[in-house]
Parts: sequence; structure tokens; C-alpha cells
Amino acid sequence: MTAILEGRNIVKTFTTRRGGQKHEVRAVGDVTVAADRGEIVGLVGESGCGKTTFSRILIGIETASSGTVLHDGKPVATKADWKALRRDVQYVFQDPYTSLCPTMRIGEALAEPLLVHGIGDKSERAERVREALSLVGLQGFIADRLPSQLSGGQRQRVSLARALMIRPRVLICDEIVSGLDVSVQAQVLTLLTELQASLGLSLIFISHDLRVIRYLCDRVVVMYRGEIVEQGPVERVFGAPESDYTRGLLAAIPDHSRRGEPRLGLRPAGHEGARLA
Amino acid sequence: MSADPALRFEHVTIAFPGAEGPLKVVNDVSFAVGSGQCLVIVGESGSGKSMACQALLGIVPAPGAVSGQGIFWEGRDLLKSSARDWMKVRGAEIAMVFQDPAAALNPLMPVGRQIVDVVRAHRSVTRAEAERRAIEVLNQVGFPEPERRMRAYPIELSGGLRQRVAIALALACGPKLIVADEATTNLDVSIQAQIIGLLRSLKEELGISIVFVTHDLGLAPEIGDEVLVMYAGHAVERGPVREVLDRPSHPYTIGLLNSAPTLESSRAHPLKPIPGQVPALDEIGVGAPFRSRCPVVVSGRCDSAKPDWTACGGGHFVACHRFAQDGIGGVQ
Repeated sequence: MTAILEGRNIVKTFTTRRGGQKHEVRAVGDVTVAADRGEIVGLVGESGCGKTTFSRILIGIETASSGTVLHDGKPVATKADWKALRRDVQYVFQDPYTSLCPTMRIGEALAEPLLVHGIGDKSERAERVREALSLVGLQGFIADRLPSQLSGGQRQRVSLARALMIRPRVLICDEIVSGLDVSVQAQVLTLLTELQASLGLSLIFISHDLRVIRYLCDRVVVMYRGEIVEQGPVERVFGAPESDYTRGLLAAIPDHSRRGEPRLGLRPAGHEGARLA
Repeated sequence: MSADPALRFEHVTIAFPGAEGPLKVVNDVSFAVGSGQCLVIVGESGSGKSMACQALLGIVPAPGAVSGQGIFWEGRDLLKSSARDWMKVRGAEIAMVFQDPAAALNPLMPVGRQIVDVVRAHRSVTRAEAERRAIEVLNQVGFPEPERRMRAYPIELSGGLRQRVAIALALACGPKLIVADEATTNLDVSIQAQIIGLLRSLKEELGISIVFVTHDLGLAPEIGDEVLVMYAGHAVERGPVREVLDRPSHPYTIGLLNSAPTLESSRAHPLKPIPGQVPALDEIGVGAPFRSRCPVVVSGRCDSAKPDWTACGGGHFVACHRFAQDGIGGVQ
């Protein structure tokens, strides 16, 4: 089967200047990840491992230094290719406080993707807004509200609804449950699994929380310092991790189901922060 | 808990004026922390856990009013303290570590200088002595090369190192109690494990008492001796950590545990989220605070009276009408 969305051999280097000298930072080094139809792929790793940069390259917010993004098996090269890709792939950002325009009513914010892609007339758009709100479990009157009048959980549902407006086939979710309370997080995770099942969506789900990845994903890709250290079905990676880094990460998870066993002692931070391996 | 707790928070209420009477963000909450012990306060946004912490340092923002039987610290009632007395306790005897070290540190000042300032505010020492103390506490928290790197600005440090500096700041004057409000929340799991290990060693090696506030019940067994679960300003369950996690008895605590994915969970066994949302404080009124979302409401009781504490054994208590009536079988 051809993957709907694939980043193949993606490399991204940033250039910084320090004291007049150029330094190259390799944020992503030769990473290949593909999502099949209806599949939930988890990208996991610590801050700075390149997971967000990689996912931004997938929809063209960042440009890869080298490597190819493939949409339905075809390389995305021209402006028209990217437009077609964004018609199919939508991105949900981490922070529901900064990703919604504070002066735009929720209804307008939800209708905007339809305007951008030239879909429907005014009444059709209003209908789609109502549909999308009910899809994410929000009532119709929310359309008249401003983001400041909503709770964090409601805003994250609105962000999801906005990403679903143009009926994409792939959602890229960047840490979308990280800032939420546990009970709200459970509501959003449940919603995601329902949407995936009913709409046949593929998800690229980025998180640093391995418990959430374990729960939600079919397959997981573990990244460290811009490279993939391990990937495979979640049962295998969590049950029998092959890399020392994955083992270290798993041992570092606080888990109330683990009976009083202390977490693995991790090496103290060196100059560049923590190293697990 | 030791026989003579270092801190007793007794029937404390924190109220803010609302349109229709005072809004109690902390409603008749009590807890105690023994010396060298750690109490974990678990709750979600709006549970009042951060407000309770702020009351421990006398920094509840105006127009909030703190009332109740007292906040007893080593025999003294802090509620009756003057602003001057608070200045001596705060930072010196009771210190706080905030959630966001980037916001807690002054961005325009090298981190070492910030520690020196705290030391000199509480002790009459020379700058050189204060600097030695800063290096000492930075060493204690595992900050690498403190002599050199104390001249770094917060922006030059990683999140984990900034949180270590924030803990060093709290330690600078040798406090007996550290209040850590979501101190590990935004850190990567590996850094989080290190910071928790650090706090645990402060407790075990220096005998410092800790109030550790978190929304993640999974952290409780890592550091806590006792746990207090809060919901919408109310304490709903308390007891030794293992007791509460092994035999959760309040429907909210059970809901919280069912909501949290663990390493064993998968989509084959869906999470059971708590339906609905936390009620507004003025909607709670006289009944049980959790009744609007509770699957096991006792009709006629939960909407008319606040539940009292019921003992579950082993120092474990729960405030729930259903538990009081039917025991744990009724709740689960």
C-alpha cells in the first residue's frame, strides 16, 4: 500500500552565528516516517529531538535541507503540489491559547479554512461549522464565542474542529494534549480515537508522554537528537524495547500502575543537559 | 505522619469576592505535614491547590481573604502573623519552587547573583560569603561548574538547569519546608525524574519537608508519603500514598485514575473520561462538590449536604456520601 504521507530521508540543518562564526545545527538527520490510511503513528522524544521540526517539514512550514515529502507516493515539488497536500493534511498546534486568533469568533475561525480553499457558499459554510462543532462534542452556540470565553479543553476541541473543516485525510497533532488536565486529556484522546474510527483518519501524533503514545498509537517512532533510534508497533517497542535510549525513557515514566518500584536512576545532567544512553 | 507535624493547615478557607457573595477557591481544607515528610496535593485546574500553596507563603493575591482555624508552622499561627513576621518566614523557613522557572527567574540578572540577593536579604553576610553559599547550594542541586556557570543568564540554561537554579534559590537560606507547585510539569520525563530524585534526596538527607503540588497522580508514589486529592476547592480524599492509589475511594479519584493512560493501557481498553466539566464555584452551593459529574450520587444527600470525612482504614479518609452509606463497593 502506498502511504498517504511520507517524509523520506529528511535532513534539516539550521545555521547559527556565535561570535562571528557559523555553526551548523543538525535538527533532523535523515529521518523517514510514513503514515498509511487509518494509521496512528506516534513520534516521541524529548525537547530538541527534532520531532516538531520534522512534522513542520511534512506540511511545508519548514523547508527540508534535503530529502523528499511524498503525498500519495508522489514527490511534492511545485506550489500546486503543496496546495494539494494541504488540502489533505492538516496540522493541530500545541497551544490552543496562541493558535486561535483572539479577536475572531469561533465560527469565523472555523469557516476560514473553507474560504482559503474556496469551498461552499455562506450557508454551506455555516452548516459545516455546526457539523464540525458537534463532531468534537461542542454545542452550536460556541460559534458566537471568542477564544477568551472558552476553557483550555474547549479551545483544543475548536482547534481540532478547525483542522477537520476541510475533511483532511491526515492530521498532524503536535503535543495537543500536553497542556490539558488529565480528565480533559482523556476526553480529547477518546475523541481522537472516535474520529479516527469514524472518518478513517490517519494521525501523526507527536508527544513526549509515552503513556499517551502507548494508549493511542499503532506504531511509534522514537527520536533522539534528530535521529530515529527505534520504531515499530507500540506493543513491541513498549514490551521489548531494543535501544538503550527507549529503555531509559520507559524507565523514567512516572506510572501509578507500577507498584512502588522506583524509577531507574538516570545519569545526572552534563553540560548539554540530560543524556540517557 | 509524625506525632508532631511541622505544618498544620487547619480548616482554611480562601475566598474572593464574587457578584453573588464570596467565591471559596479553597473551602475548609485541612492537612498536615510531618518534618522530613512529603505531602502530595493532587488536583486539576481550579481545584484550589495552587491557592493553598500561596496561603502557605502568605502570598494570596488581593482581594483574596484567608480565614480559618490557622496555619500552624512550628507552633506559630501564620494566619495571625504580621507582614513583618511573614518576611522572616517566607524564603527563609518556607520556600517555594514555582512551575515555570523561566518566569520565576529574573531574565536580566545572572543566576548566581539572584541567589546571592536572596541570601543577603535574609542574612547579614558579606557578598563573598553569600557567593560561597550560592556555589554551595548550586552544587547541592547538581548544577555543573557553579563557580563559572553562576554567571550565566537564565536564557543560557536549559529548562532542567533553570529548574535546578529555582530549587537552589529555594534552598539558599536553609528552609525547613519547600512548597513545589507543579515544579516538574513542563519538563521532559528524564529531567522530571532527575528533579524528583533531587527533591527526594533533600527530604531524605536534609530532612526538609515538602508540599508537592501536581496534577499527575502518577508522580505521587515517586516522592510522596501522604496524598491529598482536591476538587473544586474541596479536599475529597486523603491518606498514605499507597493506600489511596491501591484503594481509591472517592468517585473523583477513581475517575482521575481511569482517565490517566498508563504503560499498560491501549485503545482495546478505552479510557473512561469523567463526563462534563468542573462546575463554576458559585454553582457548588451546599452539596457534595463532585455531584454534577458523579456516577454514584446519593439522591437527597449529595445535593443537600457536604459530606464529612469517613475513615477507610490505615489513615485513609474520604469525603463521600456514597462511601459513607455503602462502602467502597458502592463507589466502584
